[in-house]
Amino acid sequence: MMHIPSLKYKTKKQPIAELKDASVYRIPLQSYRSTLQPLVKIGDQILQYQVLAEDVEHQFAAKIHSPVSGKVIAIDEHYISLKNDFQQQKITTEIIESQQLDLERFVQVLKDFGIAGIGGAEFPTNIKYKVEESKIKSLLINGIECEPYLTSDYAVMRHETEKLLKTIAVLNQIFQPEEIVIGIEKQHKELKKHFEKKFKNHPKLVIRIHLLPNEYPQGGELQFIKSVTNKEIPKGSIPANYGYLVSNVGTILAIYEALFNGIPTTERVITISGNAVNTTGNYRVKIGTPIRHILKELNIDAEDVDIVLGGPMMGKIVADLDSPIRKGSGGLLLFKKQQKSIENCIECGYCVNVCPQQLMPMQFVKGHQEDQNLLSQFNLEHCIECGACEYICPSNLPLMQSIVLGKVELQKMMYAK
Amino acid sequence: MQNKRFSPFVSSKNSIGKVMLDVIIALLPLCAFAFYTYRIWFLIVLGSALGGAILTEILFSGIFLKKWKGILDGSAIITVLLLVFTISPLTPWYVAAFGGSCAVLFGKILWGGVGKNKFNPALVGREFMTVFFPMVMSSGDIWSTKRIRYVYEVEWFNFIPNAHWAEFLNELFFVPTGALGEYSAVFLLLGGIYLIFRRRISWHIPAFLLVSFLSFLWIFEDQNLNYSLGGILLGAIFMATDMPSSPSSPAGKSYYGLMIGLVAGLCIQFGAGFEYMSYFILILNGFSTKINQVFMPRTWGTKIDWPKKIEEVFLLTLSVLTVTFAVLSLHYYGYIPYLIYIYIIYIIFKFNFSFSKKLHQPI
Repeated sequence: MMHIPSLKYKTKKQPIAELKDASVYRIPLQSYRSTLQPLVKIGDQILQYQVLAEDVEHQFAAKIHSPVSGKVIAIDEHYISLKNDFQQQKITTEIIESQQLDLERFVQVLKDFGIAGIGGAEFPTNIKYKVEESKIKSLLINGIECEPYLTSDYAVMRHETEKLLKTIAVLNQIFQPEEIVIGIEKQHKELKKHFEKKFKNHPKLVIRIHLLPNEYPQGGELQFIKSVTNKEIPKGSIPANYGYLVSNVGTILAIYEALFNGIPTTERVITISGNAVNTTGNYRVKIGTPIRHILKELNIDAEDVDIVLGGPMMGKIVADLDSPIRKGSGGLLLFKKQQKSIENCIECGYCVNVCPQQLMPMQFVKGHQEDQNLLSQFNLEHCIECGACEYICPSNLPLMQSIVLGKVELQKMMYAK
Repeated sequence: MQNKRFSPFVSSKNSIGKVMLDVIIALLPLCAFAFYTYRIWFLIVLGSALGGAILTEILFSGIFLKKWKGILDGSAIITVLLLVFTISPLTPWYVAAFGGSCAVLFGKILWGGVGKNKFNPALVGREFMTVFFPMVMSSGDIWSTKRIRYVYEVEWFNFIPNAHWAEFLNELFFVPTGALGEYSAVFLLLGGIYLIFRRRISWHIPAFLLVSFLSFLWIFEDQNLNYSLGGILLGAIFMATDMPSSPSSPAGKSYYGLMIGLVAGLCIQFGAGFEYMSYFILILNGFSTKINQVFMPRTWGTKIDWPKKIEEVFLLTLSVLTVTFAVLSLHYYGYIPYLIYIYIIYIIFKFNFSFSKKLHQPI
């Protein structure tokens, strides 16, 4: 792991602002490792919070709901497009008695309300929380937002503290963990006092605030678990099987909305920032809001800049301004276009030093380029794609490109066998 | 140049130039000491080696391969400085120029450019000098430098009342014998500390190298061994840590350092003479790729198969020792030149049929 200048000062002090609704929404159908099947047809009149699509076959991606009421105007492979009628006619949902929830009912609620990991991967929370037999040792709340620039989790912890604690109280009652820990980066240590003040309203809750170093990628689930509990869990396993439940603060907030307000995941907090923009801040936006709408509302000129959805280390570049905000998008960042000349690898080993998964990333460039056997020999499948190797590389090697494309090659090789 | 399509969209301010600059900064005090002791003699050797290297860069990298950009990255300067630091101030100018030129051509360019070389270019250059100018390089005369010395000793610590301590400290800072980079043990160490502090090298290689070499000396207790502290420090801190030719993982670096120390001890014990410095690092350079494989870091969340690992390390160590004794035997019978001839043929063929096609690839 390594230190990266956080640049969070640009948005850290700003409250969560609201954004005017868009007239058209584009609901993403791809989530986690699956594609959702639409449950509506073109021309359908739909209500706010109505289910739009579901992964009927695999159940490996969370359901998605309509953020507004209106009409379905288009459906393609990737998106359902909705026209907002600005009537906000809501679907009626039953009131959930959060005091009497048992595990089975709770997991059903998570599934019905489309709760997914807000931290980035959009892993369906109901699968994560489906604890079988194993006793929960720790409930870990991940408030480590190790991506530079992003402050959406910080804003949630700062301004939605009471909601988080109420939800944690419900989780505590369902899972009866031995300990509850909220992890915060040292750069936000003022949050510790802030939380502790609010603990007075919940005398029954025993929560420990754990301050962790400002290192990247401290907020990665595996790294977070190790830092708090000293347990090293291999990639690809579900932490609950080891007795750990880990959730991002944004996910906890989404659970709150479901439990206490009966609202499915249809909005989230995002940070707007970057080195090519002066209008910065934390905004509450609806899932499916086209980026074009946000830029227009905030009067941001996006000519000749790189637009990134997510954080600067793991986010994706936006090719089409009509692509929407997703459940896992923590930020909308604008960067000056950068051109970098790629130099020869001098085998300095910096990438090996910073790799949180203890891999040798430079081998993946070689592997992708000429010898695919190196990809599996050097355990590419264990890579979490955090981007630390490319950040530190003095030669600007295309490490992430090799890793992302290399994983595709690796899958092809596995199928071939 | 290409536009970014993949994350990350921020990056550290690292660059190859900065890495090279730090190494040059660490080497500058040693230059100062060499100049302090031999003045014009040092400048002649340095100037001709640098001239040879730069001419070769312009001719081959520039005119033949059309890669002008790499010429100014600083790697040639480091190679030349390190080469010059291993030779005598009395080395004739044409031999130095030949060495600088060969170091860059056979040590770097023919491998496909900076970073792709498997052997330390400076030591390759030095080995070429020994093979092609054996009379000059192995004559005893070349090391009798007393007559051209401007400074014989320093008296910086004579204010200390205890004469033994004063002399010890004086010699730690300055001894005017040996090759051009070996005069100040303290500044060799300071250079190393600077590079470790700037994270340009890690402590593993020098530390393990010195520990194993000194243990070797301690075990065999041979007072007549022919070595210089400066030479060993120069090798441990600046030569063995050359990035492309050394392993990348901490465990690999530790093993590499350990083995260099051992091989150095063996080379000196079996009388490899003035050339030992080249041998012990070049031998281990050849095993770097294999060491990287065997000492790959333990992947997160996985367990190490210890019996398998121990077997691999055992076999690796066995091959290192076999090669060491093979090289020592060749040296004993005077066959080292043939090894270099084979290397020349190998690298030219390899360049022709493989490396020249990968010039644009970064790795």
